Amino acid sequence: MNYLMHLVVYFEIFAIVALSLNLMLGYGGLLQIAHAGYYGIGAYSATLLWIHFGVGFIPGLLLAGVCAGCLSLLVSLPARRFKGDYFVMVSIAVQALIYAVLYNWTSVTNGPFGISGIPKPEILGLEFSSTGAITLLYGFIALIFIGVISLLKTSPFGRALQSIRDDELAAKSVGIPVNKLKLQVFAIASALVGCAGGLYAAYVSYIDPTSFNLNESILMLSMIVVGGVGNIRGPLLGAFILITLPEALRFVALPDEIAANIRLLIYGVLLITLMLIRPQGLAGNYRYQ
Amino acid sequence: MQIIINGILQGVLIGAVGVAFALVYRTTKVFHVALGGLYSLSPYIFTMLLTFQFPIWLSLAVSILIISLLGFALEFTIHRPLFKKDAPPEVNLIASLGVYIVIVQLIAIFWGNESQIVQQQVSQVWRLGNVSVAQLQLLGPLCVILAIGVIHFWLKHTNKGLELRALSDNSTLLALLGRNINFLRGTAFCISGGLVSIVSIGIAWDVGFDPHAGLEIILLGMVATIIGGKGFILAPMAGGLLLGLLRAEVVWFGSTRWEEAATFTLLVLFLFFRPQGIFASKTRLESL
Repeated sequence: MNYLMHLVVYFEIFAIVALSLNLMLGYGGLLQIAHAGYYGIGAYSATLLWIHFGVGFIPGLLLAGVCAGCLSLLVSLPARRFKGDYFVMVSIAVQALIYAVLYNWTSVTNGPFGISGIPKPEILGLEFSSTGAITLLYGFIALIFIGVISLLKTSPFGRALQSIRDDELAAKSVGIPVNKLKLQVFAIASALVGCAGGLYAAYVSYIDPTSFNLNESILMLSMIVVGGVGNIRGPLLGAFILITLPEALRFVALPDEIAANIRLLIYGVLLITLMLIRPQGLAGNYRYQ
Repeated sequence: MQIIINGILQGVLIGAVGVAFALVYRTTKVFHVALGGLYSLSPYIFTMLLTFQFPIWLSLAVSILIISLLGFALEFTIHRPLFKKDAPPEVNLIASLGVYIVIVQLIAIFWGNESQIVQQQVSQVWRLGNVSVAQLQLLGPLCVILAIGVIHFWLKHTNKGLELRALSDNSTLLALLGRNINFLRGTAFCISGGLVSIVSIGIAWDVGFDPHAGLEIILLGMVATIIGGKGFILAPMAGGLLLGLLRAEVVWFGSTRWEEAATFTLLVLFLFFRPQGIFASKTRLESL
C-alpha cells in the first residue's frame, strides 16, 4: 500500500511538472530542454529556505517558485529572439549551466554530495510525515495547480497564447504583445515547476544534482510528447504512463542489471513511434505546426 | 605550449564531429542527435570485429561502413517519412533523440554499462622541446584530417558534392530541377555517420569508451557548428578548435568540472553577439 502511495505522490509531482511544461510548449509553442534545471532551482531554493532560514512550508514553496520564475526571466529576456532549433540549443546550454552551478557551488549546494535531512511538510503545526498524509496534501496542491492552469487556458491570456502558438504573425497583426506574453508564460511555467521541485525535495528529504540533469529534462519532455500537449488531460496521461510503465515492468521477470536500460529503451521507442505515427501525442490537441 | 597542443588535438576531433553534424544539419535541417548514438556504437563494433580475428585495417573499414549504412538507414526509416509529411524541425529533433536513447540502451544491454579499452599497451611518447605527445593521441586527429580532406575534395570537385551544397541552399529548387534529393539526403547522413565513426574509434583507441560518451561530444559538435557559422568544413573546424583551446585552458587553470559550463557560456555569448557564427556575412537568424 505504501508503495502504491509512493507512486501516487510521484504522479502528483510530475503532473505539475508536465502541466507546466505543457503551458510552455502546448500554449506558448516554446520547445525547451531545461525544465529539470528550473525544477532543481526550485528544489534547492526551497530546501535552503527551509533549512537555513526557518521559513514555513508553504511560504518556502512559493518563494522557491518565485526564485525559479525570476531566474527564468534572466534567461528568457535575452533568449526570446531565438526560434526553433536555436531556442532548443540555448535551453540545453541553460540546462548544462544550471547543472554545473548546482554541482560546483559546494559552499551552498554541498556539490555532488547533495543536501540531506530536509524537513517534512508542516502546515499550521500539522506535520505530514506519513506517505498517506503527503499523498493527500500533494493531491490537494496538484488540484489547485490544475485548477489555476485550466482557468489560465480559458482566460484571455490563454487564448492570446494559443493564437501566438498557431500563427505568430497573425497574432502580432491584431495587436497581441507577443514578446511580453512569451516572457510571462515562460516565467509562470518555471515558477510552477519550481514549486514542484520544492514538493519533490520535501518528499524525498534528500536532493543531489543528478536528479536535475539533462536526462531528467528529456524524461519531462517525453512525458508531454507521449501524452500530447495543448490540453489538461494529455500531460496528465503522459505523466501517468511514464511513471507507471517502469513500475509495471518490475513485475515482469527482468534481470536487475538491464531493467533500467529496458525502461529507457521503451521511452526511446515510444518517442520514435509517436513522432512517426501520432505527432500530437496520445491525447493532444496541438501538432507542432 | 603543451596546453595549446592538447587543445588543438582535442579541437580537431570536436571540429570533425561538428563537420559530421553540419553535413546533416545544414542540408536537411535535421537536428541529428542520433549521431551521438552512432558515435557510441562505433568502438563496440570495432572491438567486436577485432575479437573475430579480423586485421585492424579491415575491422576499421568494416565498422566505418556499417556505421555509414546505419546512418543511411536512419534517414530512410525515420527522417524521410517525416520529411514527406513536411514535419517541423522539432518533430525530427524528438524522433532523433528517441533513436539516440534506443541505440545507447541497446549497447548497454548487449555490452554492459562499464567503460572499456581497445588495447593494453602503453603508447610511445614523442618529445619536441618541452612538448610531449603520445603516439596514440596523434593517430585519431591525423586520420580525421585525412578523412576531412577527402570530404572537402568531394564537396568542391564533384557533381554530387555540388548538388549537396545546393541542397543546403535551396532544397525545393534542387528537387524542381530534377535532382534526386532523397538520395542526396541519404548520402549526407551516410557520410556524417562514417566521419563520426572515425572520430569515435580514434578517441576510443586513445582513452577507451563507454555507452554514454556520445551525447556529450555531439553537443560539443553542435556548439562548434553553431559558433562556426555557415559552411561545411572550415566553419565547424574553426569552432571546434576554439572550443578545444578554451576547454584545455579551463582544465589547466580551473578544473574539469567547469569544462561544460565554459563551453555553453561561449555558445551563449556567440548567440547573443554573433549569432551568424565566425564565418558568415550578416543575415537574418532564421535563414542561417
